[in-house]
Amino acid sequence: MIEGILEYLNQTEVIKTIVILGSMGLFFVGLFGLLSQRHIIKVFISIGIMEIAVFILFIGLSFQKGLTAPMLGDAHTSFVQMNDPIPHAMILTAIVIGMAVLALGISFAIEYYKLTGKNRLDQMNEMKH
Amino acid sequence: MNIKRDISTTTLSSFTLSAFFVLTVLSILLQNIPQKLFSAGDSLLKLNSDQGVANAVTTVVVYFRGFDTLGEIAVLFIASFGIGLMLTSQTHGDKNKVKSNFMLQLGARLLFPIIILFGVYVMTFGHLSVGGGFQGGVIIASAVLLMFVSSNHFHLSHRVVEVLETFAGISYVMIGLIGLIVVDSFLGNFLPHNISQLGLLLSGGIVPIIYIIIGIKVGSEMSLIVQNMLQRSDND
Repeated sequence: MIEGILEYLNQTEVIKTIVILGSMGLFFVGLFGLLSQRHIIKVFISIGIMEIAVFILFIGLSFQKGLTAPMLGDAHTSFVQMNDPIPHAMILTAIVIGMAVLALGISFAIEYYKLTGKNRLDQMNEMKH
Repeated sequence: MNIKRDISTTTLSSFTLSAFFVLTVLSILLQNIPQKLFSAGDSLLKLNSDQGVANAVTTVVVYFRGFDTLGEIAVLFIASFGIGLMLTSQTHGDKNKVKSNFMLQLGARLLFPIIILFGVYVMTFGHLSVGGGFQGGVIIASAVLLMFVSSNHFHLSHRVVEVLETFAGISYVMIGLIGLIVVDSFLGNFLPHNISQLGLLLSGGIVPIIYIIIGIKVGSEMSLIVQNMLQRSDND
């Protein structure tokens, strides 16, 4: 029975469905946090969770069963039967950019708290006066 | 958090309902997903054999998309610059500093050279195995963070970090311009890159050199970000 379940899970459609539904679930977790929380740093963390969901979706969709990592080794001496290297490179770029944006946003939040003593989005009313 | 007080029930239920509908439609659409997706990666994998680099992701990041990586380094630099501008505007106070545990101090001192060595290894072998400049740079920054946590007197010299960063940025652009002059394109591979040397440390022409430069730049910038954030939080 366990072999049957594993064989069912090993189909390409099932793998990709799990990846897409799981990453969408994670995305909605982040979106819920973004909509429900008012603390600035929690909002940034929610945006980070949504980013990670997109990374998982991208990498998981580019994965193809039966192909190896795009790298030569002892068993592979030529670039055939390998996964697509472009999504890996693009997600590498996106992770670094996401980290930089998160760090910059948190530094803005710290500076805003230092200047005004407020750390919630619904208390930001400096532009009204 | 009281969910019922913060958000109205209508918003919550409509949000849940729309998420459920999206998931349902998506799972119906997924029933006939194609087995083999069309990609540009196969042609790039064919081209990859000419560069003499064992890791195809490294070739894509450093060679095929090298100009984008230069822009990404610029984004990272601007973020680091902005953080430095925001967080060092006040004087640094030394009050409220907690002396860290003896075990933490000793362990950090023992582990610091090992982590640095591992970061340099990941950086240098980026074209032969998993890893590369970004990962190695972040590992080095984590070693610096460990030293900051363990010791109150650890301080990165701004001068050294500036010199490293400037050296890395300038040499990236200079290697690109040399490639433009010697070969036909920006970041052209002008050093010998023979497929017969595949697997050696000095294979791949300019690819490992550029990845080491990226590692130096990322490591120094991340260490600077860590230092700026920690100094600011000490002021509270």
